[in-house]
Amino acid sequence: MELFNENSKLASVILKDYSLLPVINRLGIQLGFGDKTIRDICNENGIDLNFFVETINVFHYEAYFPEKRLLDFPVTIVIDYLVKTHQYYVNYLMPENDRLIELFLSANPEESPENELVRKFYAKFKEEFVIHINFEESVMFPYILELNRVIENPDSSMQFRLKYPDYSISGFEKEHSHMDDKMDDLKNIIIKYLPPNYDQNRGNAFLSNLFLFEKDLKNHSRIEDHILIPKVKQLEMVLQNHD
Amino acid sequence: MINSQNKSIVLISQSDVILAGLTEILKGSIAGEIIQLHRGDEIIDFPELAGNFLVIATHEELEKSTALIRQILPVTGSVQFMALVSDSNAASSITLNDSSALICYKVNEILNSFANNQAKDADTELTRREIEVLQLLTKGYSNKEIADHLFVSTHTVISHRKNISEKTGIKSASGLTMYAILKKVIDVSDINPEELI
Repeated sequence: MELFNENSKLASVILKDYSLLPVINRLGIQLGFGDKTIRDICNENGIDLNFFVETINVFHYEAYFPEKRLLDFPVTIVIDYLVKTHQYYVNYLMPENDRLIELFLSANPEESPENELVRKFYAKFKEEFVIHINFEESVMFPYILELNRVIENPDSSMQFRLKYPDYSISGFEKEHSHMDDKMDDLKNIIIKYLPPNYDQNRGNAFLSNLFLFEKDLKNHSRIEDHILIPKVKQLEMVLQNHD
Repeated sequence: MINSQNKSIVLISQSDVILAGLTEILKGSIAGEIIQLHRGDEIIDFPELAGNFLVIATHEELEKSTALIRQILPVTGSVQFMALVSDSNAASSITLNDSSALICYKVNEILNSFANNQAKDADTELTRREIEVLQLLTKGYSNKEIADHLFVSTHTVISHRKNISEKTGIKSASGLTMYAILKKVIDVSDINPEELI
């Protein structure tokens, strides 16, 4: 599998892997960029070049692991990207899932008890999803942003230490697992066990969107694990060395 | 998680080029996973492995790691080895100049031999005991409560639950409840659907 770099033409990148479309949108780029390279586009839009390249590579190539020297960008832009990803899920992908699952379950005029089960299970999955987003936005991200502020401005370090005596990102339990499990379960139930007395095309449309969602979520986790967490650990080291 | 009747391939090479190339060639012909390792001893990082394995590595790496791999890979299936060599005519080895089609053919020959040995293992039906555990689980019983009810240890219950998830592909309690209803292992009236689903 190929890796992209700053000299790649963004149009070729997207033609190779269209699942990067929402990713470049989140990074602040819209289509219509002609034959410009990633470097040109990042310069024009004031986007951090390293972060852009690392993010699309992590997304595109599952086994890709960024080199440490490439993590040289502010943690704030990573968080900004992750928050935009959450917004994309909440404002677009989830409502789209809602619409498609309803379309698929309502195709059969006779309401079956199985459909009701699928609806309830889907609601459980959404609950887990909301828990995950809330955890990151109200607990994990604020910790990271405060840590970053203390590094930039050591005067406030006393306050920070009172609030986070251990200041370690490892202390935050990763909250992805339940949501990932439920997503897998939903796919398996529909593909393997649900009696197929529904409209196939609508069923496929729902599953396709679910797969898209899954891919995006997995990459969201990988960006956290491979880019955000190593950066936060670097910051924690810096603070420790101040002591 | 890997099903016990699955076949997986473990590729061992220092070279990313070889790992990526072989994965690209082989990924379409196997239902299980392809695990890429730079060194044989990294196999310790995969504690959940089960089933049948085909290990593909250089002679040198095979010499170093065969014993360790035999020791670590579980006894639920069998393990076979294929050497990665620069030049050879042996059917049990892959050479760098082999065409993609030939590599797939050689690898599938070995994978098929697993299937013949293990045909009866391909059964994914739940056992009676697993169904009992599933029924109690959907009623909201904890592992401890299930253990007391069935007069077995909690450890046994956990192992049943693991097998149920491997066989069905479903991990969450609410997903398993849904499975149990669809498979008519339980009746909807037995549970509180609002709570468990």
